[in-house]
Amino acid sequence: MSNQPVSGNRPHTLSRRTFLRAAGVAGGAALGPAVLRRRAEAQETPSPIRPDPAAKRGGTLRYAVHNAPAHFDVHQSGTVANIGPQSPMYDTLLRRHPKDGQTIIPDLAWKYEISPDGKKYTFHLRKGVKFHDGADFTAEDVRATYERIVRPPKGVVIPRSSLFTTVGEIVVLDPHKIEFRLTEARPKAFMLGSFASGWNIIVRKKTLDDNQGNLRQVMNYPGTGPFKHVSRQDKEVWIMDRNPNYWNKGLPYLDKLEVYHMFPFSPELGSAFISGKVDYARLLDPVSWRKAKEMPGVTAAAFNQSVIQAFWTNMKRKPLADPRVRRAIHLAMDRHTLVEVVKDTAPMQIGGFVYPFHEMSTPKADLEKRLGYQKDMKPAVQEARRLMQEAGYGQGIKGLDFVVRDIQTFKLWAVAIQAMLKEHINIETNLRTVQTSVWFDEAAAGNFDLAISAIVSSLMDPSDYFSAWYGLNGPQNYSGWNNEQFQTLAKQIERELDDTKRKAMVRKAEEILEQDPPLIPVAYEQIYDAWYNKVRGQNPSTYFGIYDVVRWDQVWLA
Amino acid sequence: MRKYLARRALFALGTLVGVSLIIFVVLRILPGDPLVAILGVEGHARMTKEDRVRIMHDLGLSDPLPVQYVHWLRDIATGKLGKSFFRGDTVADLILHRGPISAEIGILALIVSWLVGLPIGIVSAIKPNSSIDNITRSLAILFIAIPGFWLGMLIVLALLFWFGYKAPIIIVQVWQSPWQNFQIVLGPAVVLGLAQGAYIARMARSCLLEVIREDYVRTARAKGVVERRVVLGHALPNALLPVITISGVLLGFVLGGSVAVEQAFGVPGLGRALVTAVIERDIIVVQNLVLLYAAIFVVVNLLVDLSYAWLDPRIHYA
Repeated sequence: MSNQPVSGNRPHTLSRRTFLRAAGVAGGAALGPAVLRRRAEAQETPSPIRPDPAAKRGGTLRYAVHNAPAHFDVHQSGTVANIGPQSPMYDTLLRRHPKDGQTIIPDLAWKYEISPDGKKYTFHLRKGVKFHDGADFTAEDVRATYERIVRPPKGVVIPRSSLFTTVGEIVVLDPHKIEFRLTEARPKAFMLGSFASGWNIIVRKKTLDDNQGNLRQVMNYPGTGPFKHVSRQDKEVWIMDRNPNYWNKGLPYLDKLEVYHMFPFSPELGSAFISGKVDYARLLDPVSWRKAKEMPGVTAAAFNQSVIQAFWTNMKRKPLADPRVRRAIHLAMDRHTLVEVVKDTAPMQIGGFVYPFHEMSTPKADLEKRLGYQKDMKPAVQEARRLMQEAGYGQGIKGLDFVVRDIQTFKLWAVAIQAMLKEHINIETNLRTVQTSVWFDEAAAGNFDLAISAIVSSLMDPSDYFSAWYGLNGPQNYSGWNNEQFQTLAKQIERELDDTKRKAMVRKAEEILEQDPPLIPVAYEQIYDAWYNKVRGQNPSTYFGIYDVVRWDQVWLA
Repeated sequence: MRKYLARRALFALGTLVGVSLIIFVVLRILPGDPLVAILGVEGHARMTKEDRVRIMHDLGLSDPLPVQYVHWLRDIATGKLGKSFFRGDTVADLILHRGPISAEIGILALIVSWLVGLPIGIVSAIKPNSSIDNITRSLAILFIAIPGFWLGMLIVLALLFWFGYKAPIIIVQVWQSPWQNFQIVLGPAVVLGLAQGAYIARMARSCLLEVIREDYVRTARAKGVVERRVVLGHALPNALLPVITISGVLLGFVLGGSVAVEQAFGVPGLGRALVTAVIERDIIVVQNLVLLYAAIFVVVNLLVDLSYAWLDPRIHYA
């Protein structure tokens, strides 16, 4: 539009050409937004998970996973007890593709942009998405959800807050566009992985407002997911029906989902699957899994899980403050035997201080050539004895208090570790088995010399767990360990945006951890799943853990 | 009789108050943090001191112990028995849903124990030290010695691997499907009943052996009464009193044993709820279930005492 003044005395003539031009402009102005809107809608790409014309519709999937959740707040949880039954009722901004469990794809956000400096993440949200209670999904719901995750209210504890420490402002640009402004750039893979985490489900702003931001005892809060809550019987089953208004038209295929709560690795779960009482079982014990593998018409899969099994060494105890003693303990572990010891109780694999199956860690084949991971223990034990001698403990150490969490794998391992320490480096320990809740009290209070348990991370990315497990004052740094060189490097890894450089830095960090162990890695967990072949559309063999792909929207029954 | 009942009711109330105080105090002084189960390991590790204060307040655990105890008594009086720390379900709902299954198992176990124990005891007493007596006594000792949960696991595994069978995995009440319900309760009831049946058999045998030597039994035989009538009509009713007494005590064992046996069979009854609550440190559920078990035990013993007067006319309650 011109900002020239229009002469007042100019005669108003209306030629045919002028009329048509004016009419064209006016019509264009009137129709423009509609046309543009249609174009914008046309740009809204559908989910990469498209309905398969060959898939059969209907039926009830009976899925058994973990015992009942302690509460209903998925954000505040850290266990598959919540993810297992509740994930199918919710969506996330981004998600991992169920075909491989790794590729990040759009979900409620159909598109995202990252600013060149890596400090702005803009998400374009799908229109027409409804919550199960009929309310429209908007950017305000995303903001309320993430404000709560990033800065939880008092009395609300969200383990994933640490993924978003650099998130400053969360700005709603329009009802379907939202921007996350970071105070400092983080690696793209780390941030996208955080947004795609299965934990970060989108809930209604109103739900959060109505419950003062705490959903621990709110059983049925609306989501936008492919299944809707029907009923729940505590510690038995959670029943869901197909969401007929699901935004991803044509999905889900199943009419009903029944999620049974059963203790992981329990004979009860195994027998429920083998007897055909459930169609799909997750977290099977190795004995049942092997039996299932032999059964005709059944598929069994093993995949990686983001849990490290380890024991901590209390840095406040003089001998254990010496890195040589800790490295000697690390080298004295016969990890191949330790994995074998629990092979009928829980599936495990060998690993070091970084997830052994992550692209940034030392490849497993190379790792097993290193001292401490070899099958032949002689060189490692020789080095361990030399280190003990050098540290002034050539005669060994007596009377260490070894706190064992009262779980079968830890009890089996503790006895084996006790024997290895005694035989290889003459360290004598007294086992003290305690209930899980007591273990965490003792560990937090530093009432132990050695303490064995397991910890989990939200992401496989080292920048998630380096700070939690090994960071100074990290919440799970039970040893009270600190190494300035490592802490500096960890900060650099957090900020480095170049993946190649980052990988080199992670390898360097691994070397530091090998020489000055903050904990002693025992093994990394694996997951055993099995399903009857009538269950189609999902094979978790390449999945990273059990927290990101639990939607069942693409699964059908033959 | 009324005075006697009132006195016994008073004693029963005193016992229950004592039990409630013990369980209340023990659960609060035992080490272990319920917030580990509520928040999970990761959440617990990240909890600030302020968060802890807030959550403990929300759970009612920051009140002084006497106040917490009074709150519990109030919850009992309202019939809701308080709420689970975790999912907010009331303990009354939990008992109403799971109680019938556990009650069925208990009653069925008692019936099994009598059906198995009494005939064995009678046969052993009639033919003491015979080969049948020796076999049944050995079996009785065997069933007393075998832990119920182990036998339960063997049965579950045998049925699974030989027949591919497993009982329903969630509660089916008797009024919903009697057949499915029967499949759930049968296994635990038989395992518990066999162990208790062994006690009944031993008690019935020794009591019957004693009574059979009494003068009135000899008189009955001398008068030509047939042996079956002598044993079942004259001797057995008088030998039953101690058996009934022990049955009351055994119900306590059944209640205690059901915790492990329900776990072995995967039956979602009250016993299993108690185990889970203990693991989760859900003290509200634990204290109410323990009190319920104690109340059942007290009531059953009272009923056993009252049944004496009915069984033996010589007994009067003043």
